[in-house]
Amino acid sequence: MRHNRLLAAWLTAGLALLAGCSAASPEGASGGATLTYLTFETPSLTASFWDTSIANASKKVSGVTIKKLVAPSTDRDAYAKQLQASGQFPDLLQSITPSTFAQAGLLKPYDQAWVDANFLLPLGNAYKGKVYIPPTNSQIIPMVFYNKTLFARAGITAPPKTWAEFLTVCDKLKKAGVTPIELGGGEPFAASMPLSGILSADVLGKNPQWLQDRYAGKVKFADANVQTAVAKYRTLVKNGYFETGALGVKYADSITNFTAGKAAMYMMGSWFLGSVPKDHADDFGSFMTPTDDGSLVVPFAVGGSMAISAKTAAPDKATEFAQAWSLDPGNYKALIEGDGAFPMLKGKTLADYNVTVTQVFKDSYAYVGEQNNKVSSFGWATNDDSMPSGLNDAYYAASQALFGSDDVAGQMAKLDAAWNAATK
Amino acid sequence: MTLTETRPRAGAPTTSAPDRRRRAWAARGHLTAAGLLTLAFVSPIYLTVVNAFKTQDQIIRSPSAPPVPPTTQNLTDALGRSDKIIQIGLANSAVTVLVSVLLIIPLGAAFSFWLTRRPARFRRIVLAVFAAGLMIPPAVVLLPTIRILTFLHLDHTYPGLILANVGGGYLSFAVFVYSGFLRSIPHEIVEAAEVDGAGRLRTWWTIVMPLLRPATATVAIFLSLWIWNDFMNPQFILGPLRGQTITTGLYLSLGQYTTNYAQLFGVMFLAAILPVAGYLALQKQFVAGLSTGATK
Amino acid sequence: MRRGDPALGAVAALALGLYALFIVVPLGMSAWKSLTDENPLLAQANFVGLANYRDMVHDDALTSSLTFTLLLAGAVTLVANAAGIGFALLLNRTSLSFRAMRTVAFLPQVLSGVIVGFVWRYILAQDGILNEVLVRTGIVDRPITWLGSPLLASFSVGLVAAWVLTGFTTVVHVAALQSIPVELHQAAIVDGAGPWQRFRRITLPMLAPGTTISVTISLITMLKLYDIIVALTSGGPANATQSTALYIVKLAFTDDRFGYASGVAMLLLVVSAVVALSVTGLLRRREVDL
Repeated sequence: MRHNRLLAAWLTAGLALLAGCSAASPEGASGGATLTYLTFETPSLTASFWDTSIANASKKVSGVTIKKLVAPSTDRDAYAKQLQASGQFPDLLQSITPSTFAQAGLLKPYDQAWVDANFLLPLGNAYKGKVYIPPTNSQIIPMVFYNKTLFARAGITAPPKTWAEFLTVCDKLKKAGVTPIELGGGEPFAASMPLSGILSADVLGKNPQWLQDRYAGKVKFADANVQTAVAKYRTLVKNGYFETGALGVKYADSITNFTAGKAAMYMMGSWFLGSVPKDHADDFGSFMTPTDDGSLVVPFAVGGSMAISAKTAAPDKATEFAQAWSLDPGNYKALIEGDGAFPMLKGKTLADYNVTVTQVFKDSYAYVGEQNNKVSSFGWATNDDSMPSGLNDAYYAASQALFGSDDVAGQMAKLDAAWNAATK
Repeated sequence: MTLTETRPRAGAPTTSAPDRRRRAWAARGHLTAAGLLTLAFVSPIYLTVVNAFKTQDQIIRSPSAPPVPPTTQNLTDALGRSDKIIQIGLANSAVTVLVSVLLIIPLGAAFSFWLTRRPARFRRIVLAVFAAGLMIPPAVVLLPTIRILTFLHLDHTYPGLILANVGGGYLSFAVFVYSGFLRSIPHEIVEAAEVDGAGRLRTWWTIVMPLLRPATATVAIFLSLWIWNDFMNPQFILGPLRGQTITTGLYLSLGQYTTNYAQLFGVMFLAAILPVAGYLALQKQFVAGLSTGATK
Repeated sequence: MRRGDPALGAVAALALGLYALFIVVPLGMSAWKSLTDENPLLAQANFVGLANYRDMVHDDALTSSLTFTLLLAGAVTLVANAAGIGFALLLNRTSLSFRAMRTVAFLPQVLSGVIVGFVWRYILAQDGILNEVLVRTGIVDRPITWLGSPLLASFSVGLVAAWVLTGFTTVVHVAALQSIPVELHQAAIVDGAGPWQRFRRITLPMLAPGTTISVTISLITMLKLYDIIVALTSGGPANATQSTALYIVKLAFTDDRFGYASGVAMLLLVVSAVVALSVTGLLRRREVDL
């Protein structure tokens, strides 16, 4: 029976190894709390930005260790859901869309008094009256950025105000041998930017309640006014105002293409301001997606830092860390300069942040302070105007599909079907 | 196709001189054609290797050129990342593979041996059920597997991942290979041992396992490779909380925005080197394993 | 009494139990969940009968992902096996250089799908090396967006999958070729058979069992395909390359529709089983005819 024992030893060794690896990865470090923090990386929000900001905020909170998780794409909502569905919801989640998670009771709201005391628009991204993400900064999504040199070369003297002027501008550029609009269509969200601009301007500009009405079933994507707006995007594609291969262009490459002067315009969120080359920043300007009558519509989104899980084992420490991060001047400086963030701290001017910014940043930031027609940015709002779970994906897919297909009605019907399935 | 004209090993008994010359030319042409085609076929791998040793500038200027002068900066950079993705990933993958395979081999072999003495009908049914395990797309059982592991309090742990590996489709593969080999072992050998009074378990261990060595090699090699390269299970069953395996770590760290090709190829080279080296060292066994599968 | 050796029986029971726990039970759970509207965000599930299956009929995304998966599986299996047979015939020589070639031909199989996807994403990029070669040699005048249009991206996924699988099909067919006795060919030559006749009458029938295995495994691999697509296209553009495996994962993990995802999983299971079994059955019968 010696051999039996040998086998038993083998199996036991295996099982011991199995147990051993669980021992090798213990639950949290001893003393203090270990919190998981979901982040995401973009060309301007790099790994080192996150590491530095985490280190700085950690210093202000005793007994906290932060374990950084990085979403595999900018779509941190999708990744947060994947983690939730597989039972690993992080303690802190950077810049997610709270609605879906808040509905399920997964997020802990911030103390309203703290929010009111610190931020300019305390309810700017509130969902059902509660603030899940400190409204640290705002964005305009998208703006139309343009290259002044290329405009001048095509004989264009002023940025367009109406849609008709916009088409004329595109036409002149094309005739001058310049690609009118850069599109990083390889990335679903980047592919949707022109459509988001047009829908925000035409649909939300006329009816700011449109998304609420869509929830109530009063309006549809298949409605004539939406289809007319989408048809404008098709016009841009069909007239050849984007590169033919635009769906194959990576997001990071679209930024370098535009800044290197390979295209005259770029529709992107205001975070692009962080990528404007410092040495020839004056070449760049910005305007809003033009409307038919030339009225100004600003697709506005109050963003912010991190949401806190309602299930976290250390809610106090998590809140402390999140608040420290959200008020850290170093983060504001980095976010303003690198990510073009519009800061929303109460009682501060740009000068208070000790930043060096370009003229186009200042001009763009001016829209935030002015009285103008601000609407929710289509597909980017994180407040009550956010779209239901999974709809952003469907919307991005529709944007990519509409680059190659004329079937506006069909794509809008798909979006309606997806909306209905998601809100059933 | 010219392939058929140059059929191997089918030489006619006698040939004239011009015939021989023609044949020599054909052989040379054949070698050239095969060589060129093979080169084209492995060119993606060639790219990975050469670009791992070039600077970003060199890669952009001439992506297919050999690395002259070569740099090891990419590899140093990859190993020096603050997230230690290579070191941690390799260690985690190694432990996962090792423990999974060490458990699957005795389980699969003993089970297959036990099965040889069951009634034929029972055996057929069991093997059919196990065949299903090879065919089921992992996406189909992924969700419930996570639920079961959660129930066992093993969710998002290495023991959980290993257990799911041991119980899942990989076990099917082991059972199939072992059952196939066992069919070729004469009953008499086993029976002789049993007449000697050895228990079944002992017979299995002392008589059968040594006979099954080629099968064990096949099982160990292929399972190691598959578990090493597995992506979906570590992505969902293990998740990001306990550190990555090399595959998921690679995926997460080389996400969407890497236009830093030097870093990309450096990391990929380090991630691929182990399985490739393993394959090159054990290629005889690899081919033997595939051959028995193909000709049985 | 030996038959019932408890120690061996215990190990066997352990194996059976584990297999049941991680294959049989999950299948049953999937089948059950497919009859519910379970949502991981809300900790409750209602029995909805066959509603999920009824919804599938009107689900365009499902139809297109299933069509993509099946077409991809069929096309790649065909191409990879034809290429594998051709490659095997070409490399089936004994000299050292041919042995070296056979060794490297299997390499794509050794790499993980994630690495394969990333390498090819680099090769197929707009400014990638393939376009550079094509433009420089004058085959095309402007770069092709290999991953940028729904149709071309589907083709590219097929190309990459076929590349990986060809490594496997080649080695399997080389092994099958080497098991053909030389005497068969010699006898045929004596009988005056030409090269084509020998290929048709000897090589092809002798290859058949290897082809059956190779085709079956290719099909199963393609029906499961996940990692290569995730790394290469993430299912885009416009969901054109979203295989059913990707769709299930998206439904379950980002759309919060566990119930429906389980239904689609059951459908994929049935489709895989039907396709794999019928093709294998067909090939087995053809083996006899050849």
